[in-house]
Amino acid sequence: MNPLQEFALNQSRRQFFAGAGLSLGSLALATMPGALKAAPLAARNYGSTVHPSLPELPHFPAKAKRLIYLHMNGAPSQIDLWDYKPTLKNYFDKELPASIRMGQRLTTMTSGQQRFPVAPSKFNFAQHGNSGTWVSELLPNTAKNADDISLIRSVHTNAINHDPACTFVMTGTEVPGKASLGSWLSYGLGSINSDLPSFVVLTPFVPNPSQALFTRMWSSGFLSSKHSGVMLRDKGDPVLYIKNPPGVDSTTRRTMLDGLNQLNELNLQRLGDPETQARIAQYEMAFRMQTSVPELVDLSKESAATLEMYGTDVKTPGSFTYCALLARRMAERGVRAVQINLRGWDQHGNLPADITRQCKATDQAIHALLEDLKRLGLFEDTLVVWGGEFGRTVYSQGTLTAANYGRDHHPRNFCMFMAGGGIKGGYVHGETDEFSYNIVKDPVHLNDLNATILHCMGVDHSRFSYKFQGLDQRLTGVEEHSPIKALLA
Amino acid sequence: MKPTRLNAIAAALLLATLQSASVIAAPKVDFAREIRPILSNHCFSCHGPDEQKRKAKLRLDDKTGLYAAREAGLRVVVPNEPLKSELFKRITHTDKDEVMPPPAHAKPLSAAQVALMKRWIEEGAEYQTHWAFVVPSKSALPKIGNSKWARNGLDPFIAAKLEDRKLSNAAEADKQTLIRRVTLDLTGLPPTPVEVEAFLADKSADAYEKLVDRLLQSPRYGEHMARFWLDLARYGDTHGLHLDNERSMWPYRDWVVQAFNKNLPYDQFTTWQLAGDLFPNATQDQQVASGFNRCNVTTSEGGSINEEYVFRYAVDRTDTTVAVWMGLTAGCAVCHDHKFDPISQKEFYQLYAFFHSAADPAMDGNILLTPPVLKLATPDQKKQLDDLEKQIAEARQKIASEIAKITYVEPVVAPDAKPEPVERVWVDDEFPAGAQAAVNGGTHALKFTEAVGAVKPAGGKKMIQRTDAAVAQDFFTSSTQPLIVGANDHLFAHVYIDPANPPKAVMLQYHIGGWNHRANWGDADAIAYGQKGTTQKVQMGPLPKAGEWVRLEIPVGKLALAVGTKIDGMAFTQSGGNVFWDKAGITTITNPLEDPTRSLAAWEKQNKNTKELPQPVKDALKVEAAKRTPDQQKTVLHHYLETAHAGAQPVLAPHRQQTKSLQDKRDVVDKASPSTFIMADLPQRREAHVMIRGQYNKPGDKVAPAVPAIFTQLANTNNPSRLDLAKWIVDPKHPLTARVAVNRYWQQFFGTGLVKTGADFGSQGEPPTHPELLDWLAMTFVESGWDMKQFVKLLVTSATYRQESRVTPALLAADPENRFYARGPRFRLDGEVLRDNALFVSGLIVEKLGGRGVRPYQPENIWEPVGFESSNTRNYVQDKGEGLYRRSLYTFIKRTAPPPFMSTFDGPNREQTCARRERSNTPLQALQLLNDIQHIEAARNLAQRLITEGGAKPEERLDFGFRIVTSRRPTVAEQGILKTSLDKHLARFQQNKPAAEQLIKYGESLAKAGLDPVELAAYTMVANLLLNLDETLTKN
Repeated sequence: MNPLQEFALNQSRRQFFAGAGLSLGSLALATMPGALKAAPLAARNYGSTVHPSLPELPHFPAKAKRLIYLHMNGAPSQIDLWDYKPTLKNYFDKELPASIRMGQRLTTMTSGQQRFPVAPSKFNFAQHGNSGTWVSELLPNTAKNADDISLIRSVHTNAINHDPACTFVMTGTEVPGKASLGSWLSYGLGSINSDLPSFVVLTPFVPNPSQALFTRMWSSGFLSSKHSGVMLRDKGDPVLYIKNPPGVDSTTRRTMLDGLNQLNELNLQRLGDPETQARIAQYEMAFRMQTSVPELVDLSKESAATLEMYGTDVKTPGSFTYCALLARRMAERGVRAVQINLRGWDQHGNLPADITRQCKATDQAIHALLEDLKRLGLFEDTLVVWGGEFGRTVYSQGTLTAANYGRDHHPRNFCMFMAGGGIKGGYVHGETDEFSYNIVKDPVHLNDLNATILHCMGVDHSRFSYKFQGLDQRLTGVEEHSPIKALLA
Repeated sequence: MKPTRLNAIAAALLLATLQSASVIAAPKVDFAREIRPILSNHCFSCHGPDEQKRKAKLRLDDKTGLYAAREAGLRVVVPNEPLKSELFKRITHTDKDEVMPPPAHAKPLSAAQVALMKRWIEEGAEYQTHWAFVVPSKSALPKIGNSKWARNGLDPFIAAKLEDRKLSNAAEADKQTLIRRVTLDLTGLPPTPVEVEAFLADKSADAYEKLVDRLLQSPRYGEHMARFWLDLARYGDTHGLHLDNERSMWPYRDWVVQAFNKNLPYDQFTTWQLAGDLFPNATQDQQVASGFNRCNVTTSEGGSINEEYVFRYAVDRTDTTVAVWMGLTAGCAVCHDHKFDPISQKEFYQLYAFFHSAADPAMDGNILLTPPVLKLATPDQKKQLDDLEKQIAEARQKIASEIAKITYVEPVVAPDAKPEPVERVWVDDEFPAGAQAAVNGGTHALKFTEAVGAVKPAGGKKMIQRTDAAVAQDFFTSSTQPLIVGANDHLFAHVYIDPANPPKAVMLQYHIGGWNHRANWGDADAIAYGQKGTTQKVQMGPLPKAGEWVRLEIPVGKLALAVGTKIDGMAFTQSGGNVFWDKAGITTITNPLEDPTRSLAAWEKQNKNTKELPQPVKDALKVEAAKRTPDQQKTVLHHYLETAHAGAQPVLAPHRQQTKSLQDKRDVVDKASPSTFIMADLPQRREAHVMIRGQYNKPGDKVAPAVPAIFTQLANTNNPSRLDLAKWIVDPKHPLTARVAVNRYWQQFFGTGLVKTGADFGSQGEPPTHPELLDWLAMTFVESGWDMKQFVKLLVTSATYRQESRVTPALLAADPENRFYARGPRFRLDGEVLRDNALFVSGLIVEKLGGRGVRPYQPENIWEPVGFESSNTRNYVQDKGEGLYRRSLYTFIKRTAPPPFMSTFDGPNREQTCARRERSNTPLQALQLLNDIQHIEAARNLAQRLITEGGAKPEERLDFGFRIVTSRRPTVAEQGILKTSLDKHLARFQQNKPAAEQLIKYGESLAKAGLDPVELAAYTMVANLLLNLDETLTKN
């Protein structure tokens, strides 16, 4: 959007506040959310006038109105989870054939290795659902959703190390400073709920994080910081500074805000600056968030059956299970984009034990999330994406035994799945060679995947840009990319 | 015109526009400002500077291309003849295969644009180079109607444009508004009520100028101006990538502050930063300034490829330099020729060649001081260091004399002699040579202690003690004297468990490339590391007996350690409790001839390729033993006896210990004296190449350092250096440098630059609203000798700046963004200023210039959720006392998790250069200003000022508070609202005294004694209100 359009849009956003009864004084403001609260939770859609979509969006009717992105940070092994390679067992501890390796670049963690011994997955695979999708025994629950998901076995990326790859998966480029997927959605599609942020980020707790996250994975980059992901935190305030200071309750805060609004009103009359008007409205939204955020994280109204479905640690703030349930609660409340970043998948050594632990922590909750969305009728218009920043090598890093092995980074192919709004169920896309080392059919670049996500959300990625540093910046970068039609329902 | 030759629709369209155009006698179409942007935005991506992507060999971004002959006798553009011009034919073509831009490009021209192109051709199709590449010229001041209004040379330019647009300037703002505006703008802090009164009382004609002069002399000026520069320089206190460990760069930040305060001219300010290291006899300041090019983010991520990062750093430095000084987006040319601006890919790499030989390593090593660095010891520190060095030299002399007394004889053993077990102690009183020690999970640092109560070391003088509640460990890796495993060897260590506070388990771990060998005693699940049943976790037995030293022994077979395995690190782990560790090593059954602690020959064999040995020893070892000079023999033997020979250790140990303790003392002083990253080039330049498609591993043609052809070339073309580049940039004839700089100042004071896209002066940027003014300012700046303070003064003393900022709906409609300045600037203060303002008005602020980054209040879990376990910036440890109240400029910036007062208020995370911050207005900002502990603490301290300094009556106090935050007196209505609010708070806290007590205790500073808690709490809420007023948060 050009700056003039943006200005016009801001004006219309501000005019809303003027129209919302500012002149009636702060009491009217305080009761404003009532109208929104009265509507059934899931029924709210683009209508929000607080933070509307860009005028030209959606480009076409959206199949998905919201996004839940389960980012498995550190890169889960595709070979042990999704990309079934039955013949690999014949190659146990044999050298990865040069015809497969083709001298491709390796990280310096294994490029010095004397050997590249093939490590078949020690886990069993079985076919699931009518689709007969092969899934590892590590994901017994997620496997039950085989007919709900599109599994993509041929995703590839440009980066070979975590920092650039994480930046790439979320912003479409390896270089820091660009806008993240959720920020783009917030910027383009606006917010559905006027009491909650449009883009929320969760970072479940992991005991010994050997990988870092970067705020740039949910940063707004060159877009206004109002589109940055708001981190919902498991320690301290769920949203930064949401709690009043000790000794100040909601009534005291209201008294203070009433005075503040009246004085700001006078200032508005004196100077006529629309920013003042916007500020009054933002303070009111802040006040409403002081109610809506605690309500969001209050699980007391969830049924025992629902809680049980997610798992035993569902009430432990910071567990992945807890975050999965919150994701559903946010979907229900119209948060446009939710991103869960779970660390712990960077298994260079001791992979079998570590991946088992990670799957145990996530498998049931992911299944529950999909089922719960279905139960509430939200599955059809919520897009769920699962995946890491790259894949892992078929050859073992470090010592290979029958019971134990490790795997290095592998950007050339990995698996992700998509489900829900706009996505085919029970479909498997793309194919890799016998060693899960090279793509042999239907490659999907990460920016094709991002284009597909935008497509499901009603956005043509090629027309969705923001002018910065002389360029029309796009989430999908400057190279040619396009949505993967085969995945679309 | 002959419409018959055109399609009917196009003709109608054109006719409509042309008719309307003919009604108003429009001025001549300006190619640079009206036509070029159309061509750039709609045509250049296929017909522009990018040679690879150029379609139909047609180029529209230069003169030759624009008038070129095409097939069938046509020309691209024929002056005065639109219908003979291929360009015009194509943009009006009706066939969708012929029309330009092609529909698939999704950038069609509007009817108005087509009409404009037509008029331009009819008027002669004059071509001009893009305005920003033409050297600025100083035009005469425009004549204006209201000439009395102008206060200096810039005002007539503003007034003339206003007159063009039928707008008029606003009245001068009142004095209260002015003093607050200019004080915030020049110092980042508001004026005090006393300063306001003094200014109001000064009725002299130049009262305002005097005020400006006073502010420009304040050290706060440099602190404030530096902030904007540090955004450009991408300054941070961590490396930025992966581990994101701390780096020591702050002396550069302090230099920037000083440079502004000393008013270093902008040309020197530039050359020092770009090439301070290359000046002959570079001063300390010049070298520190060169740190600009070391501010980029760096990595040390395992697995990274060196060439890739050497490439990336050079790209970042090139890109940043071009963006900061020339306002161009060179980054586009990393992968291909620039699509819009005349920077070819080759030219990008010619610029890159200036930076490609930087001496810093590809991997930053995750260390505080990635070389090259400069040490900046104070005189006192320097003396201490010299003294300690002297003592160390003496101690080493003693060692040398002891060694000289030893006669070394290589052991002789009969070939059939039985090998004997030998105990090799590895850890005793200290970790072995080269060890890199660290603590995991512990609440205190590594502690080698002498006897504690009845517990005496099992060997030597010291033992390790660790007391912790959870799993914790002391460990080291990278020892240069690794243990070598032999067949049937035993690893051992001594442990003493405090019976009063035993751990659940103890564990020994051995580092062999990685941590995959562990031996556990006690609860097998208490320490989670490693998979049970593998060598990752071998269960050895129950917890050793408490209350006595127990020798733990591990046969190497149990850990499946092969003969010859090198162990270079060890970890002493416990699950809670109070545990002592001592004397660890290996019992080896070996032939003395093969034992490096007994045989020099064996040691030499082992250390032939050890990198960490002193250089003379390494050099000597490269020579065959028999061929060494006597000096070399001595060097090797002495080193061996000193560091490795078992027989010599009893004699040398006390001396070595003394040396070590002196070295430790020196390291402490050394660490306390700051160092900073500086720029330097490798002695041997790296070759630079065009990198095909911007890929680090695809070098193409070799390139030499040079500047793009569009500009005047370098004075020195013979192997030019960064210094030549820097001097070229500040050549007064450079078309961009001064324009870009003055535009940035304009943006800082007026909210938006004359060129709105301050980071893009290229084709795709927005042309200036006031081109003549921009050039006049640029020339004025250069002519002043690049005097920054004088230039800033020019801006803030202008009539344009001094206008009141009130806006009417009509004016808002006419000029929504205030790009024509019919009113004064008004916008939200930056995050740092908001925080500093609260600290200042509350009296909490601690004003102290410079130093290492401080850690003020920060909510828990800002760093932790993103940090690596092993990062040294994983856990945020908040400062106590003055660190909480320093100006925001001095807050430690961790780039992967910047402080919320920056990130919530559009502050960049300093990963890349930032020329302009957005200015958003969000509920998260409201929440922070309402509830953040530092804002509540500031409110309470402000409340204390209201009560103790404001007077006895509530009205007086409220009046005082209002003046502190806004610099003006409240109106009666405002006074009334505040009083109502105060009364309500008083009544509520009266009913709930515990709540009042809680509120006034929030924050580290203590509530002033003797004040009534209820009253203080009520005033705190009013102060909280005052600090959140739109007027307080805004420069008015």
